[in-house]
Amino acid sequence: MNLLDKLSRLDRRIIFLTVALAVIIPLFLPLRLPVEVTAPVKQLYDVVEELPEGSVVLMSIDYDPSGAPELQPATISIMRHCFRRNLKVMVLGLWAPGVPLGTRALEEVGAQEYAKVYGVDYVNFGYRPGGAVTLVNLGRDIHDVCRQDIYGTPVEDLPMMEKVKDAGDIGLVISMSMGVPGSDQWIWYYHARYRGNLATAQTAIGAPRYYQYLQTGQLVGLIGGMKGSAEYERLVETPGLATVGMDSQSIAHLLIIGFVILGNVILWLEKRRKA
Amino acid sequence: MRLQIPLIIILVTGLFTMVTAFIPAGPVADLNQLFRNWYIGIITFFIFLGTLNLVRVNGEKIKGKRRDWPYSIIMIASLAIMLFAGFYKGRASMDEGQPFMYLYFNVQFPLESTMYSLLAFFVTSASFRAFRARNRQAAVLLVAAVIIMLGRVPVGSLIWKGFPDVTEWIMQFPNAAAKRGIRLGIDLGLISMALRMILGIERSYMQ
Amino acid sequence: MYMTTGPWVWVAGVLTLAIYSFLYKDNPFYKVAEYIFVGLSAGYWAVFLWWNYAYPNLFEPLGQGNYWNIIPIVLGLMMFTQVSKRSSWLVRFPLTFVLGVSLGLQIVAAVEGDMVPQLRGTFTPFSEGALFNTYDFWSSVGYIVLLVGVLATLTYFFFSREQKGPLGVTSRIGIYFLMVAFGASFGYTIMARISLLFGRLHFLMADWLHLLG
Repeated sequence: MNLLDKLSRLDRRIIFLTVALAVIIPLFLPLRLPVEVTAPVKQLYDVVEELPEGSVVLMSIDYDPSGAPELQPATISIMRHCFRRNLKVMVLGLWAPGVPLGTRALEEVGAQEYAKVYGVDYVNFGYRPGGAVTLVNLGRDIHDVCRQDIYGTPVEDLPMMEKVKDAGDIGLVISMSMGVPGSDQWIWYYHARYRGNLATAQTAIGAPRYYQYLQTGQLVGLIGGMKGSAEYERLVETPGLATVGMDSQSIAHLLIIGFVILGNVILWLEKRRKA
Repeated sequence: MRLQIPLIIILVTGLFTMVTAFIPAGPVADLNQLFRNWYIGIITFFIFLGTLNLVRVNGEKIKGKRRDWPYSIIMIASLAIMLFAGFYKGRASMDEGQPFMYLYFNVQFPLESTMYSLLAFFVTSASFRAFRARNRQAAVLLVAAVIIMLGRVPVGSLIWKGFPDVTEWIMQFPNAAAKRGIRLGIDLGLISMALRMILGIERSYMQ
Repeated sequence: MYMTTGPWVWVAGVLTLAIYSFLYKDNPFYKVAEYIFVGLSAGYWAVFLWWNYAYPNLFEPLGQGNYWNIIPIVLGLMMFTQVSKRSSWLVRFPLTFVLGVSLGLQIVAAVEGDMVPQLRGTFTPFSEGALFNTYDFWSSVGYIVLLVGVLATLTYFFFSREQKGPLGVTSRIGIYFLMVAFGASFGYTIMARISLLFGRLHFLMADWLHLLG
């Protein structure tokens, strides 16, 4: 069996091992490659920067543990940015498994890092089922959809929510999303009716679909995947897990491109051999 | 009756919801909001039904000692443990530091994220074995993929400064164009199917 | 990712390796982990739904005198009738209600939230000479590419006439736009999967084995 045959029959477990090493080695030998910020992420950053102090930012945690490596760093960075600017943060989730992740981020950043007060500077309404239908109701009457927070406190007893009644009282909505229900529903059902600023942070799988909404102005910003999260970490000058991951991401991408090229070289050589 | 009444329900609720979308205030809008609240209430039972079905299907598997039946015992035990952890202290069961949250962060979280991360290995293997440019269209796909993969990581701008800008241009224009075309087609199909169901022409969902 | 202490991090580490053992071959450790995940997930959803919505929004208000809640509760309970063949026809009532509401909203959303803005966005850059006055060179080229691409992609999906002549040419251009989009999606998919893998391997190296600073 010559080299060409051996390569074309390469045991996939060797491929698995190489990709694992491509991700692990940069953890021990960091390259510290600079992260360049792209326009869609900068647009969102600028919107948050220009919001008047005291504005309400609604963050919708629409992901689960499988989206956490890509979206949790963005959630944390955006919360940092909001609290740094003395904006008020309202969190809810259209996905039940994402709620503890959003809750932890709020407590770590809001309560511990910035000493913000629950109920005054930030609130957490937990899981809101119903997807698109809930969003239609939300824009019209927030208190009807969010009757109690995640701890069972009635919405009337939360000082921050006294003046937050409908979509007109929200300065910016950010959907941290990885599927359905998620950003699509925010765009089609909420923004179409109530307008306002809407942005999204997407896992990389979903991100390509949202450039069309960025172009129409339906979205004011787009964070795509872990790279997008790393860009936002750079903008708020607090590197985190996403920034650390960029080295591994770079090497793994080069490896996969190498495999694609190798596979096509093998195809070409096999065609030549048959000819 | 068993067919007519449900068809009347879908016709009335569908048309009512469509028409009253343009009436944002007043008693009609309040009724619309009430219907939507009922919708949310009903769909919560879908998930409870799903849980019940899971127990029923696995219970039958255990009873009939079908293939992999011991694993079904593990599954039902896990479900029971999670339900107990979630209810034994009432609402406070979900507070930070409670067993329910420990199970979420240390069992469910790692299991779910690891399961999805397996795909990284298979997609790499597929890139080597299956991603071959056998014709011009496949070659275009490949080239676009390689440019995007280089443009979306920091090492790309080390290779060539222009990669990030070219990537963004591709995403904003040719990619958006195709995605928009697909999206418009899907919308037309969605509207057509939705109207067929509301008007009772399409009834396959009632089987 | 989250620094847990004590034995729980070992539980998370061992379960992670149990799932990864599938890469060698399917085995009982992987199966056990998989079934634990399914059971835990189902329990999680049921608990969250009960405490976050069903109890505070349906049953608690019912107990406090809001009797309108009887309607969604009864319709919801009708869903359970599908377990028996004799009574399964009752499912049609809640199903058609739910479908009616969601389909009615969907039709409006598809037009108001998607089709109209998307069509507007395709043609607006060409209004009032914006292409020459407002945008830089590459953006102007891009908007022309966008318009051509949208029309070509739509043409590709038009099957009511045989695709030959100008229609055929436009359709073939559409295919190339689709290939670029699929290539972009493939590249982003790779990115997503590697990010997930990084997340787990970082957990194993940093939080479990404490090998990283």
